[in-house]
Amino acid sequence: MDVDVRNFLRRQPLGAAGAVVVLALVVTAVAAPVLAPHGPKETGFAPYLPPSGDFPMGTDQVGRDVLSRVIWGARLSLYVGMASVLFGITLGSLWGAVTAYFGGATDMGSQRVVDSLMALPPIILALTLMAALGQTVNNVIVALTILLIPTAARTVRAVALGVMASPYMEAAEAAGSSHGRVILRHLIPNCLASYIVLVTTNVSYAIVVEASLSFIGAGAPPDEPSWGGMLTAGIQALETAPWMVFFPGLAISLAVFGLNLLGDAIRDVTDPRLRGGLG
Amino acid sequence: MRTYVLRRIALFVPTLVGASILIFVLMRLVPGDIAEILVYQTGSEASAVQKRQIQQIRRELGLDKPIVIQYVEWIAGAARGDFGYSYTQRRPVSDILKERFPRSMELAILTLLVATVWSVPLGVVSAVRQNTVLDYLARVLSLTGLSLPLFFTGALVLYALVRFFRWLPPLEFVALTENPSENLKQLIWPAVVQAYYISAPITRLTRSQMLEVIRQDYVRTARAKGLGERAVVYRHALRNSLLPVVTFIGWWGGRLLGGVVIMEVIFAVPGMGTALVQAVSYRDYPTVQAIILVMALVFLGINLLVDLLYAWLDPRIRYA
Repeated sequence: MDVDVRNFLRRQPLGAAGAVVVLALVVTAVAAPVLAPHGPKETGFAPYLPPSGDFPMGTDQVGRDVLSRVIWGARLSLYVGMASVLFGITLGSLWGAVTAYFGGATDMGSQRVVDSLMALPPIILALTLMAALGQTVNNVIVALTILLIPTAARTVRAVALGVMASPYMEAAEAAGSSHGRVILRHLIPNCLASYIVLVTTNVSYAIVVEASLSFIGAGAPPDEPSWGGMLTAGIQALETAPWMVFFPGLAISLAVFGLNLLGDAIRDVTDPRLRGGLG
Repeated sequence: MRTYVLRRIALFVPTLVGASILIFVLMRLVPGDIAEILVYQTGSEASAVQKRQIQQIRRELGLDKPIVIQYVEWIAGAARGDFGYSYTQRRPVSDILKERFPRSMELAILTLLVATVWSVPLGVVSAVRQNTVLDYLARVLSLTGLSLPLFFTGALVLYALVRFFRWLPPLEFVALTENPSENLKQLIWPAVVQAYYISAPITRLTRSQMLEVIRQDYVRTARAKGLGERAVVYRHALRNSLLPVVTFIGWWGGRLLGGVVIMEVIFAVPGMGTALVQAVSYRDYPTVQAIILVMALVFLGINLLVDLLYAWLDPRIRYA
């Protein structure tokens, strides 16, 4: 992927805009302790204060600064989103590639497991997993990882089957390479493009599912600064404190929008079939 | 066609069994014994009494038997419509399902209806008037829908309703058969919100299908023989571009269930979703298990129907 930055800007202006938003998100997440005026769990201010100079986004039901929680929320969202996507897509891709390589009963059996995991609507599967695992931030990552594995396994399996049919795979096997060598040196490098696309397009998805879980009260513990959880608290006090809904909601929409734009652009650049298309 | 149908149905059964095992095992992974949780929640005094209660609940729930037996008993009961007893609601789980299931299905169907009525014409207009202001407007509108998380749009709509229209979540659910207009008043908002969310991909697909079909030779022929634009668009182009759209809408029908849960929570609709969220928070596991199994069944059933419909409509699939 030797994509020249200026070329990317010219060809993918929307993607560049997305990159700016994502960059802002990353900076906010990394610099949260410096940027946030207060701690994410720091209480002690009056509850339900409307936005003002001291509290630009107001305070919530127990007197926490909403701005600080939105800023720390960026860290939580990005941490959960990136960690679960890296684990889930990596494990799923390896699973898909390896089962496609061995084929036969291994492949058949693995496909049925993938089917079973995909038999539940995604949010419901995540909710069930959270009920079983208990509500902690790291368990949200585990639940999202399990959610992402079957998707990645199915996609990469299909790609790997295509790769398997190419002459160089046959040549590698004919040359006497071991299974491990063929998989590592030939199969996996040729599935890398779809791996990258899966990673970039799923971060925003993972962030939305994390927020949805927190929203229905099955995600991170309520005192954690999750955008979804903040929205739930806001809905309880919709008439008295609408700012509790607006700001976290805006933050998550912006993050998702930026990640989607960037993800689409990376997909277009990585996938030769879409290159130069009008989309 | 017969072999395809048989093969597809043969795939349905192991998947459902796999999903049910998954649900069952997950519920057994829950930290803490379900019986203990139930007893400590009720908070009795003497530990001897508690122990006896725990033993009794274990026996009633069959938790003292080996896990394989437990699973077989559960699934055999489920097949007969017996899902056990809900301790928190103090009634059979099947009663909860009977009450809640039709409501959630109504919400899901209403959502699909609104989404179809709104997004298919939008996609057609967007394609027929490609690269005009109308096209851009339609595309921006649908893209925004996709970028806003469901619960945020839901919260905004709820806020607007409460603030400007003094709308209040109804205290009691009114069935469609009882009072259709009251029933619609309760369900139309969550349906519209989710319809807006899912309309983006439907609009996009309709648009791209139309764009493809409109360039086909038979459409040019239709124009060449002097047919009016209306007839060309509706009778020739639209009909031929609808096939993937129809199956795509069906496919969404299954995925809708997750969103229905969120919509029910926001708009206080007493459906399966709210029952599920409540049961999870009260650790009412017989109910959680049953609702998730029913959702998996619906999800797989819709996927099966969509695949069969697709094969019936498009001969290339069934011979592939």
